[in-house]
Amino acid sequence: MTDLLRLLDTGVEYLILAYFLLLNTFYFLFNILSLAGILRYRRMITFVRFGEIFRMPIVKPVSVIVPAFNEGPGIVQSIRSLLSLRYPVFEVVVVNDGSTDSTLAQLVEAFDLRPSKAVFRRSIPTLPIRGIYRSAVQPKLVVIDKVNGKKADAMNAGLNISRYPLFCAVDGDSILEKDALLKVVRPFLEDPERTIGAGGIIRLSNGCVVREGQVTAVGIPKNWIARFQILEYLRAFLGGRLGMSMMRSTLIVSGAFGIFRKDVAMACGGYRAASITEDMDLVIRMQKHMHEQKRPYRIQYIPDPICWTEAPEDLRVLARQRSRWHRGLIQTLVRFRRMLFNPRYGAAGLFAMPFYAVFEMAGPYIECLGYLLFLSHLVLGQVNYPFAVTFFFVAVFYGTFVSLLAILLEELSAHRYPKVKDILTLTAAGILENLFYRQYLSVVRAWSLVDYLKGKNEWGAMEKRGFAKAGQTP
Amino acid sequence: MLSIVVLYSFAYLLLLSGSLFLFILARRLLVESQERKDLRVFLEMERELLEVLTAPSPSRAAVEFARKHGSRIRVLKRLLVAYREALAGQALEPLKVIFERTIRARCLRDLRSRWLATRLQNVRLFVDFSRPEEAVHLVKLLQDKPIVRLAALNALTGIASRDTLAVIFELFERDPAPNFYAYSNVLNSLGQRIEPFLRASLRKPLPADKHALLIEMAGRLLLRGLYPDIVRFAASPDKELRIRAARTLGRLLVPGSTRVLSGLAADPAWEVQAQAIRSLGNLQDWRTIPLLVKALFSPTWHVRYNAGYGLAAFGIVGVLQLQEISRQKEDRFAADMAAMVLDSLILTGGAA
Repeated sequence: MTDLLRLLDTGVEYLILAYFLLLNTFYFLFNILSLAGILRYRRMITFVRFGEIFRMPIVKPVSVIVPAFNEGPGIVQSIRSLLSLRYPVFEVVVVNDGSTDSTLAQLVEAFDLRPSKAVFRRSIPTLPIRGIYRSAVQPKLVVIDKVNGKKADAMNAGLNISRYPLFCAVDGDSILEKDALLKVVRPFLEDPERTIGAGGIIRLSNGCVVREGQVTAVGIPKNWIARFQILEYLRAFLGGRLGMSMMRSTLIVSGAFGIFRKDVAMACGGYRAASITEDMDLVIRMQKHMHEQKRPYRIQYIPDPICWTEAPEDLRVLARQRSRWHRGLIQTLVRFRRMLFNPRYGAAGLFAMPFYAVFEMAGPYIECLGYLLFLSHLVLGQVNYPFAVTFFFVAVFYGTFVSLLAILLEELSAHRYPKVKDILTLTAAGILENLFYRQYLSVVRAWSLVDYLKGKNEWGAMEKRGFAKAGQTP
Repeated sequence: MLSIVVLYSFAYLLLLSGSLFLFILARRLLVESQERKDLRVFLEMERELLEVLTAPSPSRAAVEFARKHGSRIRVLKRLLVAYREALAGQALEPLKVIFERTIRARCLRDLRSRWLATRLQNVRLFVDFSRPEEAVHLVKLLQDKPIVRLAALNALTGIASRDTLAVIFELFERDPAPNFYAYSNVLNSLGQRIEPFLRASLRKPLPADKHALLIEMAGRLLLRGLYPDIVRFAASPDKELRIRAARTLGRLLVPGSTRVLSGLAADPAWEVQAQAIRSLGNLQDWRTIPLLVKALFSPTWHVRYNAGYGLAAFGIVGVLQLQEISRQKEDRFAADMAAMVLDSLILTGGAA
């Protein structure tokens, strides 16, 4: 019996080691692919004048849809930034999703909104719309006031009212850079038949100075939780998603900034109202739809259109956010389980779905299993200390190496952190995040399974501070 | 055994991470110093270029400038591209002289590079400074990958002669997987001089999607001489072609098209009806008002929408019709649409 337990123990140890090795190898591979992609992209856009797009009469107009729920502190800044985007033809559709704060009142006051009698096609069912407003000073702005029904329902209401063939989903607490739409729309110009979606890079505005709806100075925040998240976002977007997009394995285009073909999204029935991570759900359904229609398609990530968003600086709020993301991931993967290892769905079924299932969904459980095993060995006095310490440092430096690669990718793509000190701070964050932050998030994500099984479907409020307050001199 | 592997991994990763960290820092410092140096050179060259542009003999001064700065290619490219944006017409001549004397040879060589990005970069550079007689270099790139082909096509529109126009149309007709948006952009930039080529292509048996683009271009460029060719497509069995014909007729505004459009307004496909109604609205032929009023009661949203705005285009007469429909109670959908159109006329006139 003891031998059997020992054998099992050794087996689990090797499983964890193999998992650790494989996971980091994949991340390393994605980073290398991203590196190649960014270098190529840099060369491809040399001498390209994005302003040329203005002279193209056939550029597809875009409806920017902004769902807003209790975004009072930052909504006016966000909408101002969206209205000042450089793009030939676009409209901004703000959906006030039954906010209980002053979101609508602020919009009405800032943009001189007046009730409109607009008639629209209710192509996708949504909860009742209380009113539609148009601005007397901003002809591009439409505001919808509706009963609260979560983000997906708000997006669907926006889709029903939007007029243009492309739509861009932007969070109400986000700020797009002026050229972001011009840059993110390029795949739709280069390959309009096949491109069904494109995503830009999400960056954190914590520590940045925001004026007149634009980020005017980029800096690193003082809060370490925000610093860790900056690095996480760099790894996720510049390393992970860009690399996966090069392997035609994109499963997520962030709901904070993504652009899609409206006809394909509508053909899939729009956003699924019951979904926790509606962005991932829509992207997978769009891919599934295209595969089932046997139509070639592509979804691309572009490394330089940037959307700035605010990250939580409080562990409690962060835990709620990550728990929701993980529950959404489980829900989506369970819902589309038939796509797993299914060659009918191409790279999405054979690589992307299994990768997300094995490494993203199961990751926290295997990580927590490792911590439990270590604790049990500690209690039983069976820890091989030299091995454990060395292994810990291997894990730390592997993680740091991947973080450094992400910093290099940032330097090569947008190069937004102006000071050398910023690189040093981010590197320090890459080391320090291994000490508590990473373990904490693993436990939070693992625990989210319990919430998922209980059927918890709520978002968890995210405390909004607004960009004006977020802006500190970096 | 495992401990040794882990120990070696640790040492290796430590070394790798340390090297990468130092590389990032060193690269940053190098790039910054290079940028400072380039900026200094750029400003110095810019000052001299302004002297060239305002010299009594700009071409001679440009030759001298090219001789002096021919070795600073990287900054020179940036300077030329920046000034290409700001200058036009005869003022560009000195820039072309500088380009020919310094970068042209390398650019031509790089147009044949095996690397796609290099070819693309150089097509774009070549676009700005090449002369019509050099189109032959770009024509060769029309067989390249789609993105290079697109750039070459764009370049050709900038130096289009009769021969290059023929090449563009021939390529379009033969292209097995055309990027319609790219072609549309290219043809649009070429303007009304494409009329004879467009007519010839419209009369050839091409796939429906290619004809659709050509019909669209006729409308966009207001080529009224193609009216008889467009009318022919109004009777096409292909729904998409009938839609395009209806749209184009609404742009060409030839008085005789009222009859064709009225026929299309009764088409079995609602998409064709909607487009025909919109075009009838553009035509503003008073005799079609009853048809537009009837269309406002259509069961299809798009037809109602276009009919509403079509009536609004008639001015006060259309507005009075809309007011009347908005007050009637028999058809709530028609009343709502009329109310919305009236509302948008009062408020903003529509987004964008």
